[in-house]
Amino acid sequence: MNRQSEFHAYRDIEKCTKDCICLYVCPTGATDTETGQVDFDKCIGCGACINACPSRALLLLPRIYPEQQQKKEPVLNVVRSLAQSKVEQEKIMDNIVKNANTDAELILAKAISKSNRIMAEDLMREGGFLLPQSNKVREFLEDISKTNDEFSVQIAKKLMNLLKVSNDEKKK
Amino acid sequence: MAKYVCSVCGFIYDEEEGIPEKGIKPGTKFEDLPEDFECLWCGASKDAFDIDNDQGDKKEENEQKDKNVEVEDENIVKSEDGDLLSKLSYEQMSALCSNLAKGCEKQYLTEECTLFLELAKYYKDKAKKVEDCSFEEMEKLLKSDIEKYKDANEIAIKYEDRGALRSIVWSEKVSKMINSILKQYNDDKEKFLNGKNIYVCEICGFIYVGNELPKVCPVCKVTNKKLHKIEGGVINE
Ligand SMILES: [Zn+2]
Repeated sequence: MNRQSEFHAYRDIEKCTKDCICLYVCPTGATDTETGQVDFDKCIGCGACINACPSRALLLLPRIYPEQQQKKEPVLNVVRSLAQSKVEQEKIMDNIVKNANTDAELILAKAISKSNRIMAEDLMREGGFLLPQSNKVREFLEDISKTNDEFSVQIAKKLMNLLKVSNDEKKK
Repeated sequence: MAKYVCSVCGFIYDEEEGIPEKGIKPGTKFEDLPEDFECLWCGASKDAFDIDNDQGDKKEENEQKDKNVEVEDENIVKSEDGDLLSKLSYEQMSALCSNLAKGCEKQYLTEECTLFLELAKYYKDKAKKVEDCSFEEMEKLLKSDIEKYKDANEIAIKYEDRGALRSIVWSEKVSKMINSILKQYNDDKEKFLNGKNIYVCEICGFIYVGNELPKVCPVCKVTNKKLHKIEGGVINE
């Protein structure tokens, strides 16, 4: 068994037009799956399929993502306070959606609700949670798992088992 | 003759040139444009435009200001350390989880995606409910956000956080767009849609009202495939 490679191939389903050249150039049969996606465990990251694909549907993804920027507290405070305001606005819009009297009101409230959600998500993401595999997400899940809230504890534990953490900053 | 720049997408209205293809003659003053004038790129209303000051001057001014910002000692301004949950509200945790679900989906981590979505819904339900049910209440929050962006931009620049700056810039533009759309809605009420559709950019939240989608999102520049149409539904179910 090979030591796991730094990268693995990934198929962009949107671009794949089933040219299937990847099937025979792959030395390990990792592209030879019926799921449509590359078998990440079998892939050795050699790139043969990527060079062979006429649709440019294959690419290499890192198994471990790069370290994230340390976030300063003043920056966190400002992005989080904006995010909080956006979710408050989302809640008001959701109330309008439930009680709308006209089509215009309904569609507009739905759109603004969704827009606020997306802004809040994006602002929160910049608080050091760029990737599910980041240390910060691990810390978040660990904190949840230490609470008494049974439902969220179970989910957090499952996620901690599933997600490999990138090798950024050493834990103090 | 002055130039006016759209604060949402950067489109410039040049009084000297007008927009002849739209029947706006060269030399038309910005204030003489019809009240229902809309930005050619993003559809924002007139009040989303600011006068375009001489850019050279502005740049110099900013550079001057940058020099004056005191660089604080790395040790004084802390990076976040521990006790994360006490700093986050349920709403923020929900947004964080629904975003992580998107991140997992991108990496084809289906199970992780589902779990994060469950958490996002759980925290959303746990969050404090609000009674407010009007666009006016929301507008108050929106207006106070819009005032906060100047400082927010400066903080992100000061701490050289390009990522945070990007998210602040996008949300500032989207907020101004929502503000502009609400104004149009308040003016026209039920007639506001008038056969037009509403689309939301899945990436930045930009809202487009109309039927001719711009090629790319005017705010985040993603292709218009990511602008998704909002469907109506049952009213007062
Ligand atoms: Zn966008």
